[in-house]
Amino acid sequence: MKKVDTVKLISAEGMEFVIDKEAAMVSQTIRNMLTSPGGFAEAEHGEVTFPEISAVILEKICQYFYWSLQYSRGKETEFHIEPELTLELMMAANYLHT
Amino acid sequence: MPVLRSREIPPVPPNPRKARYNVDPPSTPTQGREQPATRLSSPPSLTPSPKTDGSVYGSAPFSLRRSLRLYSKGSSNADDQFGLPAVEKSIGSRNGDVSKKRKLSGDVDDGDVNGGGGGNEVVESYMKGKSIAESEYIEKSERKDEIENVNRKRRFSREEKGKGKLVVETDLESEDESLVDVSFSDVELPAEEVKSPDEKLSKRSNRRTSGGRMERFRDAARRNASRFAYFNTREEEEENNNNLSVEAEREIPSVEEHIEEKVVEDWPGPFSTAMKIIRDRTANLNVRQGSSSSDQVPSVQIKWVPQKGKGKDGSKRLPPSLLDLSLRVLVDNADAIASLDHVPDAMRHKLCQMLCDSRQMNSNLLDLLLSGSPTEIRLRECSWLTEDQFSECFVKCDTSNLTVLQLDYCGQCLADYNIPSTLARSLNSLPALTTLSLTGAYRLSDAGLSVLVSSAPALRSVNLSQCSFLTHGAIEILASSLASVLLELFINDCQSIDAMLMLPSLKKLERLKVLSVAGLESVTDKFIKEIITARGDGMKELILSGCGKLTDSSLKIIAETCSSLRSLDIGNVPKLTDNSLGYLASGCRSLELLKLCRNTFSDDAIGAFLEISGEVLKELALNNVGKVGHNTALSLARRSRNLVSLDLSWCRNLTDEAMGLIVDSCLSLRVLKLFGCTQITDVFLYGHSNAKVEIIGLKLSPLLEHI
Repeated sequence: MKKVDTVKLISAEGMEFVIDKEAAMVSQTIRNMLTSPGGFAEAEHGEVTFPEISAVILEKICQYFYWSLQYSRGKETEFHIEPELTLELMMAANYLHT
Repeated sequence: MPVLRSREIPPVPPNPRKARYNVDPPSTPTQGREQPATRLSSPPSLTPSPKTDGSVYGSAPFSLRRSLRLYSKGSSNADDQFGLPAVEKSIGSRNGDVSKKRKLSGDVDDGDVNGGGGGNEVVESYMKGKSIAESEYIEKSERKDEIENVNRKRRFSREEKGKGKLVVETDLESEDESLVDVSFSDVELPAEEVKSPDEKLSKRSNRRTSGGRMERFRDAARRNASRFAYFNTREEEEENNNNLSVEAEREIPSVEEHIEEKVVEDWPGPFSTAMKIIRDRTANLNVRQGSSSSDQVPSVQIKWVPQKGKGKDGSKRLPPSLLDLSLRVLVDNADAIASLDHVPDAMRHKLCQMLCDSRQMNSNLLDLLLSGSPTEIRLRECSWLTEDQFSECFVKCDTSNLTVLQLDYCGQCLADYNIPSTLARSLNSLPALTTLSLTGAYRLSDAGLSVLVSSAPALRSVNLSQCSFLTHGAIEILASSLASVLLELFINDCQSIDAMLMLPSLKKLERLKVLSVAGLESVTDKFIKEIITARGDGMKELILSGCGKLTDSSLKIIAETCSSLRSLDIGNVPKLTDNSLGYLASGCRSLELLKLCRNTFSDDAIGAFLEISGEVLKELALNNVGKVGHNTALSLARRSRNLVSLDLSWCRNLTDEAMGLIVDSCLSLRVLKLFGCTQITDVFLYGHSNAKVEIIGLKLSPLLEHI
């Protein structure tokens, strides 16, 4: 049923976000987790948990992944960030290397 | 006449050509190339009738070498004229073609002369084709009497030595070569045309100045001819070339002459071997290929073909990272930031940097930064901070965990009297402070520094650049309390510090690893000798840019003593010659960062240096080192596997091909700066296949993000 490879990102509250693997790979950290030969549990199950990142932020991050893919394919739009989220988003982005 | 011919005329080595070229210090990057070009303005003629516009200046650099032989004999050359008419004519015709290929302005009539296409190879075989200038020299000489005589004299001398055969051989090949030449010239046309408008413009301006310069060269040559003769008889071939180029370069800057002879002795080793190899390579290339490596290429052929369709599409841009996006939003809404708790230091620094750059930093944000017990405070620009704000913010700041304090350009807020109440509240108020940077604190005196240092006993890195009030007493203070801990000292542009006076204190810093004395005029060879002999073993980084009094002897000592030197900045030290590179190559084997700026090193020397030291090099700056050319490019391509950052701004002798070769071969390269390289075209920009390199300074790249 799953034609496209997907991964599941789990926020601190336990909320799960299922996104394309290609989108998740935008984050260098996730990419390393999923592709490294170290035998990470994440790589085997296709799930990554982020106990420090809240659901709101994680949702925004997933939106960023898709926006980034769109951008590199040529469609250059603006990615709006609500100011209230920015600080946490910045720290999460730093952690995710994205 | 017999007097002239019977005297042993030493062979004219190819390199002096190049050195001759170097000898003319161009005041603008283009002028150096212009000089020879200007002589091309009159059409060639087979008969030795001169078009004597600006004839004097024309042969300026050329005459330097020629005059060695000519003027020392000091007699007329009229006799030679009739001696070799046939050869001259054929050479003249060939040279005519050369100028035609050059396609410089004013050469409308060059097309008339269609003798052989072989002018180039004659030029090359004579001079091992170092540059356009040299070839054009020959051409110009055709047109002007004195220059022609000079020319003939030279040619005669080479023929006398039995090298005349070359002329004959190439003569036969001239037919074929001409076709080859034309095709090559077509290829090179785009690059040339880029240059020629520049040349046209500066032609006029060059004429005046070079006239006087040529006279000076002639005089200098006359004076030194006997010394040259000595050198020539000592060695043939490449050693000869080495010496002459060294010498010729030294003609203008007046360095003691006896050093040069000694210097030659000091050179044995990998560097001189590499120099030899490079010169042989260029020599052989020219003999074999004839004129195929024509015109502007200094005889070394760069084979690089732009990849069509491969390589990055210039218009495609990477999406901005989420980090950057959120930082931008934060900066825009900086007043709304309520707290910076839990934000890691790296993020804080990035935020501060962007805020300072956009002039949005204010005391409220500084309060946020200082709240809690901050570990690192980095403000790269504090000029907005008033004294009162500074006092207010820092009085209540808990500095017990502070490890890094950077308040750059804090002159307005920092003075002797407010240090005790803010930063140095007690004798141990900065116990953890290891890095302190107070650049631009122009009101900070030795006494103020003393108070500060007494509160921070663990300082490892001190940056007091541009604190113009500090004297050598400040260094004494540092030495008395931090002698065993201080690792890094930056005193750029502290004009009141006299280098020799601070020397005893400086020597007391036992663990000094990084020393920056950029811009201090009082730094002399003696200073370097003393400090390096004392502390050179552990020295990892030396920044000596702008210390105009330094000469090769300083570099010699540095190379001999500082075997673990990782980083060296010798930009804007004009007196350094190729010998310095020789010393560095043999001495500093772990050099990872080398910064040159406006130095007068030759292309050969840099190429040779890279052959030896290129493997370890990670960052190289050749900013405005005008002579950088194809030898450097080839060495970079072959050796610089680990090079990450390269600055070739204002290196206008590099063509698209050379750039392409460098970028495609240096696989670790990530940053390439090309400011002022307007000769680089889309052929390179869209044709190179290194997807990871970022090119800064040309039209494609946004500028300030990379500073």
